[in-house]
Amino acid sequence: MVKEECKALLDALSKVTACYRHMVLTIGGTSDSQNLREELKKTRQKAQELAVANRNKLTAVLKDKSVSKEDKAEFERLWVIFSTCLEILEIDMRRALELGHEFPLNVPKKHLIQTGMSGGTSGVAARAMSIQNMKYEAEHNIDVVDLKDLENEINQVGEMMYEMEMKVSVPQWTVEAKQDPGAELKSTISVGASSIGMISVEENKSFCDISKILAGIIFSAVLIIAIVLAVCVVKLS
Amino acid sequence: MTVGGPRGGHPRLQMPCLSKMERMIVSMQDPDMGIKMRNQRLLITVIPHAMTGNDIVEWLIQKYGISEEESLHLGNLIVKHGYIYPLKDPRSLTLRADESPYRFQTPYFWTSTKWPATELDYAIYLAKKNIRKQGDLIEHEKDNYNLLHKRINHTWDFVVMQAREQLRAAKQRRKGDRIVIDCQEQAYWLVNRPPPGAPSVLEQGPERRNCHTSRVQLNMDYYKREIEYCRKAMARTRVKSSICLEGYIKFNEQYVPHDPIMSGCLPSNPWITDDTTYWAMNAPTVLTPTKLRVERWGFDFSELLTDPLGRAQLLEFLKKEFSAENLSFWEACEELRYGEQSRIAEIVDSIYQQFLAPGATRWVNIDSKTMERTLEGIKTPHRYVMDDAQMHIYMLMKKDSYPRFLKSELYRNLLAEAVIPPETKKRVFPFMRKQRHSSPSPALLLPAGDAEDKIKGPTAVPEEES
Repeated sequence: MVKEECKALLDALSKVTACYRHMVLTIGGTSDSQNLREELKKTRQKAQELAVANRNKLTAVLKDKSVSKEDKAEFERLWVIFSTCLEILEIDMRRALELGHEFPLNVPKKHLIQTGMSGGTSGVAARAMSIQNMKYEAEHNIDVVDLKDLENEINQVGEMMYEMEMKVSVPQWTVEAKQDPGAELKSTISVGASSIGMISVEENKSFCDISKILAGIIFSAVLIIAIVLAVCVVKLS
Repeated sequence: MTVGGPRGGHPRLQMPCLSKMERMIVSMQDPDMGIKMRNQRLLITVIPHAMTGNDIVEWLIQKYGISEEESLHLGNLIVKHGYIYPLKDPRSLTLRADESPYRFQTPYFWTSTKWPATELDYAIYLAKKNIRKQGDLIEHEKDNYNLLHKRINHTWDFVVMQAREQLRAAKQRRKGDRIVIDCQEQAYWLVNRPPPGAPSVLEQGPERRNCHTSRVQLNMDYYKREIEYCRKAMARTRVKSSICLEGYIKFNEQYVPHDPIMSGCLPSNPWITDDTTYWAMNAPTVLTPTKLRVERWGFDFSELLTDPLGRAQLLEFLKKEFSAENLSFWEACEELRYGEQSRIAEIVDSIYQQFLAPGATRWVNIDSKTMERTLEGIKTPHRYVMDDAQMHIYMLMKKDSYPRFLKSELYRNLLAEAVIPPETKKRVFPFMRKQRHSSPSPALLLPAGDAEDKIKGPTAVPEEES
């Protein structure tokens, strides 16, 4: 079914956009590396492929006159989602370009910002590319070389968006969201489980003290047990 | 489709103070000269790159050679603008010069006027927070959430989708990094969407927005323009302030006796005594003008001309001198200048026929150059064709007829006959004095039914107030 295909493509694009945003966040920080730049390059190329596929499919459907009214409304909603996704992608690409210029990697005098991130983003990239493990094949100065390609790709995306605006006219005010406020809470998402635990710990003001108190309690418990055992041994012997 | 950033309007520039702060932050990263980092210990995880407030203050003192007070203030500004965020008390963006830990913000989340925070991103952030906290948002965040749901309703599905995807992507990172990212995002939105009542750092006054004027390119064009401007400024006519102040003082001395506020007005000030004689006596058309009024005609030609009574007297005088056509011509030109657009051609024609045509009944004496120009202009009539001629005649009257008018018998008679209104006598017996009160409200003069309501109205209000 066309609708399902469109939805699947859109979901994929949304996933890749989220991963791309995640990776752009880390540019300029201490976990920035040549690998990150390569991941960025691969992710955005994948995003572009998906965007083109989405656009072709959706324009074909929207131009089709034989589609029913409800279906048309649904496709228009998907179209609006698609164009917003593309906007976010373009803005992130522009920021990646700017940050890439500001934070080149191999210059000894330019230091990266110590943001506290220590791990890599290979997991995120693997999720974006829908593969198990990332392979890194680029040269060691990809951070500089890639910027030119990035500029071209930004222009391409800009042109695509302009074309889309011109060719397909979908008035945004006619599209209504299917989800009510708070809809995201209803689905079963175990996303926050581990991070919830960590965040509530984060909110605690003196976690250092808590760890100390815990250690103290454990130590005293062990001490008491040891004393009790010693007393028993003494008593029994 | 909403158009974002550079594709839309003019390119935005980074606020200069923010660029300076960015440079400062980058210089703090130097492994030798920068701030010493410590590790932050949570229960199980250890996150590097934390520093204490003290470290920051001391580094600033050392680097810039400033006092502690200034360094604290500077550090406070950096924290307020979101380049460094506190770890212990994330909601209060202030720098404490003690052991409280701080960390640097990632460059993507640096405060920027070039990349303003969009509503879409804020909506995604709130949706993510909603999921993480299972609906437990702060008051103002809840309000913003509902507002955004209404405002960007057309992409709300995308917001929810993207929020879920971003959370799933974050799962792929280590625990420590996940915590750091959450803190970073929280700090970013505290700066860009401060809670109600907190001052927003990004507010720029109306003058400041124009970054273009402050950024001047010091090139050839700029200097050429400056030279031209200075040359024109030197060529301007200037009056010495001693001279203009003298003129100013003379004017004031001349007019002080005529000013009703400064010198009182006879017979009495209508606003105080409710006696409208003053206005009646100074009406535009009155049989006998007051003395002050006639004296004023002697100050300046324009005073004479603008007063209808004065103008009439001038006309009388000019008739005797056989130069009344000048004044008529001047009046006709005024009618042209301030009259209706549709009648312009008609009026120009009538002026030409009456005053300018050779052999006209009331031919005015204009010099040949002005006459030529005016006749040329009449071919394409517009509001201001007669300006030159009118000015010529005006100056003629001013220089020639006006002084003679002032010396004439007509004027002297007018002065003699002018009336000085007597001051209203103050009543001897106090209780006979006219009560000073404001005029009755016109509302009370309405027919009976309405009057009753109106009377009830004002009385109802004092009851409420008491």
